Amino acid sequence: MELKEAMEAATAELDVRPGFVGDVMAGARRRHTRKLLSITAAVALIAGVMTGVVLTRSPSPEPFTAADARLTAATGGDLSGKTDLIAQSLAAWKQKTQVGGGVTEVSTDAHVFWMGNTPSGPAALVAQSVRVAHAKDPQTLVGLVHGNVVVGQEIVLKEGREEGIYRFGADESTYVVLSLGRQVFWSVNPVRGPDLRYSRVWWQAVLSDGVAVVGAKLEDKAVFVRADAAPADGDVTRVGERITPREETGRQKAMVPHPGLGWTDVMWASSRQEPAKPGQSQDKLVSEDVWRRGYVDYGTEWPLWEVRAWLPDGRFAVVTEANGELVGALYQPDGTFDRALTGSLAAKGTPVPVRLVLPDGQGTLLADRNTLLGPEEREHAWLAPPGTTQVAVMRNGDTTTVPL
Amino acid sequence: MQDFEDFVALRSQALLRTAYLLCGGDKGAAEDILQDVLMSMYGKWRRIRTSPEAYARTALANAAANRWRRRSRKPEAPLELGAVPASRGHEQQVVDADSVVRALAQLPRKMRAVLVLRFFDDLSEAETARTLGCGVGTVKSQTSRGLARMRELMGEQVLTWN
Repeated sequence: MELKEAMEAATAELDVRPGFVGDVMAGARRRHTRKLLSITAAVALIAGVMTGVVLTRSPSPEPFTAADARLTAATGGDLSGKTDLIAQSLAAWKQKTQVGGGVTEVSTDAHVFWMGNTPSGPAALVAQSVRVAHAKDPQTLVGLVHGNVVVGQEIVLKEGREEGIYRFGADESTYVVLSLGRQVFWSVNPVRGPDLRYSRVWWQAVLSDGVAVVGAKLEDKAVFVRADAAPADGDVTRVGERITPREETGRQKAMVPHPGLGWTDVMWASSRQEPAKPGQSQDKLVSEDVWRRGYVDYGTEWPLWEVRAWLPDGRFAVVTEANGELVGALYQPDGTFDRALTGSLAAKGTPVPVRLVLPDGQGTLLADRNTLLGPEEREHAWLAPPGTTQVAVMRNGDTTTVPL
Repeated sequence: MQDFEDFVALRSQALLRTAYLLCGGDKGAAEDILQDVLMSMYGKWRRIRTSPEAYARTALANAAANRWRRRSRKPEAPLELGAVPASRGHEQQVVDADSVVRALAQLPRKMRAVLVLRFFDDLSEAETARTLGCGVGTVKSQTSRGLARMRELMGEQVLTWN
């Protein structure tokens, strides 16, 4: 047995514990926040010492205010004169905003800095000073109120990133986006060309008092970016800072059924051999390369699985999924991109859901996670020889024959 | 930071396996250092996002080495290693996967890291050198010595490499 095979055998059963990704993300955010705040605190402390001022935290319940101009700015938006709507929004906001969820103390300075009409009715953007754990200085809580409902809130840390985009309405088709000093561009309905590449037309959102209101149906796959210049057409590396409503990220996203297979692994349909990827792209996922080349829509999340194979003619094949469809690619051994390949729908629950016929008689890439496939009983994936009409699938000890 | 979360979701398993070997088969330690490394990458993501895996490998190798340095200073927690299995008959030509880990655990940390990166992670000599912050010559010599040592430790079990 080769050393490599022995190492792979020794680690084959190894996987991270359930919840590991969530733990990493939560810990990383906590650590990053602490770092930012300690830097801020250190700078403030040094400044205080230099001027002979002793910094002390304001004892409660004395008022405190975060350093955010929106807390005292004149209300913007086309409904800025509607004091009744503003009062109604503030009441809803105050009812929602309580200590908890990282907030340790709430100030009384909640302020509507934008009140405007949207296709789904009036909405208000609110800012309020809050204290958060591990931070000496007050921070800003920003959110959107639609009717009597607080659609979303985010704590904006000093020097921290602000997402600043909210999605709401009966059909979740209204977006309110803060420009935060930049321009906002948006795009819907990606188009796949005859060369199999996706392209998007970008529109510059109209800003009013630093806020854009955009209507877009969920099925139109709207994507928003904050940028200083119009995104480069077809170059996803120069699009700008993508901003995403919380409904489409993190924990909320986990509640949405995955449109495709939802696997999270790299699987080999052929024997692994050195190098594990074509050319010098050792640090990049092949599926990421396919995404950068435009064969997966910019608005699609990066695929979380790949099936790889070195082919009999020396080329390298990879297949993954995007929007529930199989997307494949061929590379020359030196890493030169050969061509994109398309496959059928990656339907969860069907036997051997990944089936991608390769060109030039190189066989068919087959994959079904947690099974043993083919006469070699390969784990998860198998590169079936050309002409294969059926495949033996062993799952939980039971073998069935699946016609191809 | 969606791409960071995707990276964590997609690459954690593979990185855990590398960490496991770097830690000489201590799964708990492997998971700990991996979590620590990934968390430290979050704040640096914009800078390292072009080659996160290379960064992670380097950080894992360093973290594993530091762990071993700490262990060598505080040897109160001995490795849970069984003895290297006795020689087996020629009819048993399959390497016991655990014995590979046990043998790896007995190598010096740099030698072990070189073998793991070269033969498990498929890195070239140059990439391994870059990852470990040493010269290509060091990688070559550590590879050669490491493989010889592995043969000694593995006894009569068949172990080859390309």
